[in-house]
Amino acid sequence: MATSGDRLGGAGLALVKPGTCAGRAQLAMRHRVREKGRGSRPEAGSVATANTMDIGLFAQYVMNGLMLGMMYALVAVGFTLFFGVLDVIKFSHGDVLTVGAFTALATFVGLSRLGLESQWFDLAVMLGAATLAMALLGMLIARVLVLPLRGAPPLNTLLITLMLGTVLRESVRLFYPQGANPKPFPALLPRGSVNLGDFHLRFDNVMMLAAGVAAIAALQYLLHRTKLGLAIRAVAQDEETARTMGINFTAIVLVTFAIGSALAAFAGVMNGLYYNEINFGIGLYLGVIGFSAAIIGGLGSIYGAILGGFLFAALQTVGTVLLPFASAYKDVFAFAVVIALMAWRPTGLIREKISERV
Amino acid sequence: MAGLLRIESVFTAYDRADVLHGVSLTVEPGSITCLLGANGSGKTTLVRSILGLTPPRAGRIIFDGREITALPTHKIIAAGIACIPEGRKVFPKLTVEENLRVGAYGERSKAAVAARMDEIMRIFPRLAERRAQLAGTMSGGEQAMVSIGRGLMCAPKLLLIDEPSLGLSPLLVKENFNIIRHINARGITILLVEQNVHQTLAISHQGYVLSKGKVVAAGSPDELKDRAEVREAYFG
Repeated sequence: MATSGDRLGGAGLALVKPGTCAGRAQLAMRHRVREKGRGSRPEAGSVATANTMDIGLFAQYVMNGLMLGMMYALVAVGFTLFFGVLDVIKFSHGDVLTVGAFTALATFVGLSRLGLESQWFDLAVMLGAATLAMALLGMLIARVLVLPLRGAPPLNTLLITLMLGTVLRESVRLFYPQGANPKPFPALLPRGSVNLGDFHLRFDNVMMLAAGVAAIAALQYLLHRTKLGLAIRAVAQDEETARTMGINFTAIVLVTFAIGSALAAFAGVMNGLYYNEINFGIGLYLGVIGFSAAIIGGLGSIYGAILGGFLFAALQTVGTVLLPFASAYKDVFAFAVVIALMAWRPTGLIREKISERV
Repeated sequence: MAGLLRIESVFTAYDRADVLHGVSLTVEPGSITCLLGANGSGKTTLVRSILGLTPPRAGRIIFDGREITALPTHKIIAAGIACIPEGRKVFPKLTVEENLRVGAYGERSKAAVAARMDEIMRIFPRLAERRAQLAGTMSGGEQAMVSIGRGLMCAPKLLLIDEPSLGLSPLLVKENFNIIRHINARGITILLVEQNVHQTLAISHQGYVLSKGKVVAAGSPDELKDRAEVREAYFG
């Protein structure tokens, strides 16, 4: 599967320049075209006009929007967690997602070589390997790059993680076999769907959505029902006072980076399963969106980040519907609305850091 | 003099400028020891040095027979020191109960945490009423209760109290001093850092006066009351 896919990816998409935003949008369109071939995607609506859209098509759009929103939310939550505990923007977050997705893919290739082809087993091992590896990578980044820069202006952290992101991205491109080309990602979830009129409710989408909800629910449980979560929230609110309560600040930062990075890996695998393809630029694109989503929501707020993620996906979906002739402009539309939102609410929709009473 | 806490010629600097110039003091077990001094005399810096937030560049700090000078903050707390920080510093977006739980972070026994929580709710019935309220939405006086309660949650051997009367009404200040005496009566040693000379000396067993990063006077409250250094430390 992996080898035949290599050929497919290499030949089929050779003209697209992945990694650039334009290339990414083009790529996304290709997916849609391909999906349309399967007859299940709402982008059929880009050909028809918006007023012929019926309930089934509408439901299809909603489902797609939810899938995208879930991925964006998972990435945005990472940004907001890191900002919470350290007041830094870690710009390499998206590229950690890429590395996570490629780790999953490499794991799959390895398992196939070993002749292990059970799809649930493969998926579990891939997910485990990707999240665990990215949790470790996240801790390493925090330990080696982010924590030592605490005394420096926050812009330095932003810059250094931006550069690290480039290093990670280029490493995938250069060192992963045929890393410059989009790679097919195995479809390991059941392929069936329930047809409700024009609406095809795909099982894999439902499962991914449920898994995303479960991941966010688990995070919420961790943050609000466990001692570790209490410590993370305390550090986020007042680092120094948290330390004087006996909380090991460094350990909490490392754990937080592990959690955020594992969620990014999760989103990366989800992205691969959804599009059945990954390339070294996915993280850059998802990173920028996740970051925007975290900002719209109000940096530091978990609910805000989730809201922001789904809002951004909704904007893209609305953009696709409103601009039927040019759905490639959906990102332009979505980001333009984000800019307008930021002008209206500079601190985001949910303000997290409240002013202290004296 | 054994002392529960012994500070030996500590020098502490921010960047390059020394703020503390060889401070030495001893806190006897079971006592209320006060540290008086005007703004900028180095009181808070000394508290930060003890807690490891701004570690001293020279000198030694010995707590309970063990040197804690170079330890990270969480280990110093684990050794048995708690702090009620200046400005109360409650976690604004945690509930009252969560604030107290953070105070008991180092305690592994759930039963012990629950027992201490109940005890604190008995001392401050107000907190029991407001258990689920976000601490940031409470009044200054209520936040002071949260902060004191949080400091007691780890059952410390030594409690550092930094400027408890700052920003409180005179009535609350008086109540605060009563509470401090009450805490001490339960066997907790207290290092009280204050600007409010008279009320502080009234409840202390031993006092030190800090001026420009040096101890300029030390002694019993009666000795300190009339000393010129005390007045000079504030007005000189």
